[in-house]
Amino acid sequence: MDYTLQFGQVWPFLPRLLDGALLSLQIALLAFCGGLFIGTALASVKAFGPVWARRLINAYVVFFTNTPQLVQIYFLFFALPDAGILLSPYAAVLIGMTLNAGAYLTEIQRAGFESRRQSEMEAAEVLGFNRLQQIRYVVLPHVARVLFPPLSNHFILMTLGTSMAAIFGVEELTGQALNVNAQTFRSIEVFTLTGLIYIVLTLIASVALGLLGKFAFRARMRLA
Amino acid sequence: MHHLDIKGLEAAYGAVPVLSGIDLPVAKGDVIGLIGPSGSGKSTILRVLMGLIPPTAGTVTLEGNLVDYRDAAAVRRLRERVAIVFQQYNLFQNMTVLENVTVAPVKIRKRPKGEVETEARALLAKVGLGDKLDRFPDQLSGGQQQRVAIARALALKPEILLLDEVTAALDPELVSEVLDSIRLLAEDGMTMLIVSHEMGFIREVSSRVAFLDRGRIIEMDDARTIFDAPREERTRSFVSKILRH
Repeated sequence: MDYTLQFGQVWPFLPRLLDGALLSLQIALLAFCGGLFIGTALASVKAFGPVWARRLINAYVVFFTNTPQLVQIYFLFFALPDAGILLSPYAAVLIGMTLNAGAYLTEIQRAGFESRRQSEMEAAEVLGFNRLQQIRYVVLPHVARVLFPPLSNHFILMTLGTSMAAIFGVEELTGQALNVNAQTFRSIEVFTLTGLIYIVLTLIASVALGLLGKFAFRARMRLA
Repeated sequence: MHHLDIKGLEAAYGAVPVLSGIDLPVAKGDVIGLIGPSGSGKSTILRVLMGLIPPTAGTVTLEGNLVDYRDAAAVRRLRERVAIVFQQYNLFQNMTVLENVTVAPVKIRKRPKGEVETEARALLAKVGLGDKLDRFPDQLSGGQQQRVAIARALALKPEILLLDEVTAALDPELVSEVLDSIRLLAEDGMTMLIVSHEMGFIREVSSRVAFLDRGRIIEMDDARTIFDAPREERTRSFVSKILRH
């Protein structure tokens, strides 16, 4: 193979790639927070709500965890305009990823809700906590503590999953890489650099999450 | 007027009756010891009183007011005046000792944090844990955890305290530290219902002792009569078996 690596030609585009990386992180963070909110609410209803609501939630979870995320976003992007709802690529990706994360985070948190300590729930009850207060002060700290590792793993997966946005023309890291590649034709260099940025991004995220888990939730976990 | 008056109380686990007509009048400052074999319904009385198990018949009157256990708001009001400590302490594992004691007064009753914390520190000092405020439950011994649970119950300033076999899960050498804390409460005039197998303690601290068997109070009298000269044959046989070792 007589290919000569020429990183010098790609180097000037680093700021653009980093801008893209920031956008990737932003999409992942927003979708994760939205998904966490949905997941927490739905896991609460699944644990304590009426049967019909649980069935409805199950249908949502089954639908979103058993279809490809790409198809879900295509659906939002191409099918909703027929119903009069026009979404920008960014909005379609963000909403799609949020709904998808909501389904997965419901399912992950379900395990935490089910493993809540009945003795603590009872203690809270006789101390005058209502159901919402029990969830807030007893169940969620327990969920955060025991499920912190799988929840942070899901965040990492979502950070990488944002590359899907490139398909819709969103200029996040992968989108920017495609742009730079089209301008320089230095594919190997461009995608090597892009890969390295993804690695740095997820490493930073894991370390940050590890520290958060260790100090905020007393989760017994190793730093990444 | 009785502080707490239980009349004809019945309860069941599914189809199995556990309480079959309990009559128990409790005056202010009374310390009632509840003794009896396992499954006799001692703990169930406390759980029904707290609204954790619905009664199937009978009435509970708190200072002349009938408690309606089907009404969630009424049960909440009851829980502001009556507190319970469990056998397994049931501390919140994710909170420190101080947080365990302050969470209900601050977050549920909405009392000012500074004031509650001052009280909580005093309570914890009283049960001998003034130096463990920032520990988590899993860093404490069973006896220490149980004393935190007692402080947590007291932080709500209950008028009546229910103690459900609070020493049963403890190593023998840790029992006395918990009993000391309860003894102090009895001296302060707290109305208490105590379920326990610590017969020596029950005898010493109770103003009256009720012997239960199969969901009924077989005999109730002052501690000396129950332990030394019971009238009922079943009481006599239980007490003699217990005191033999």
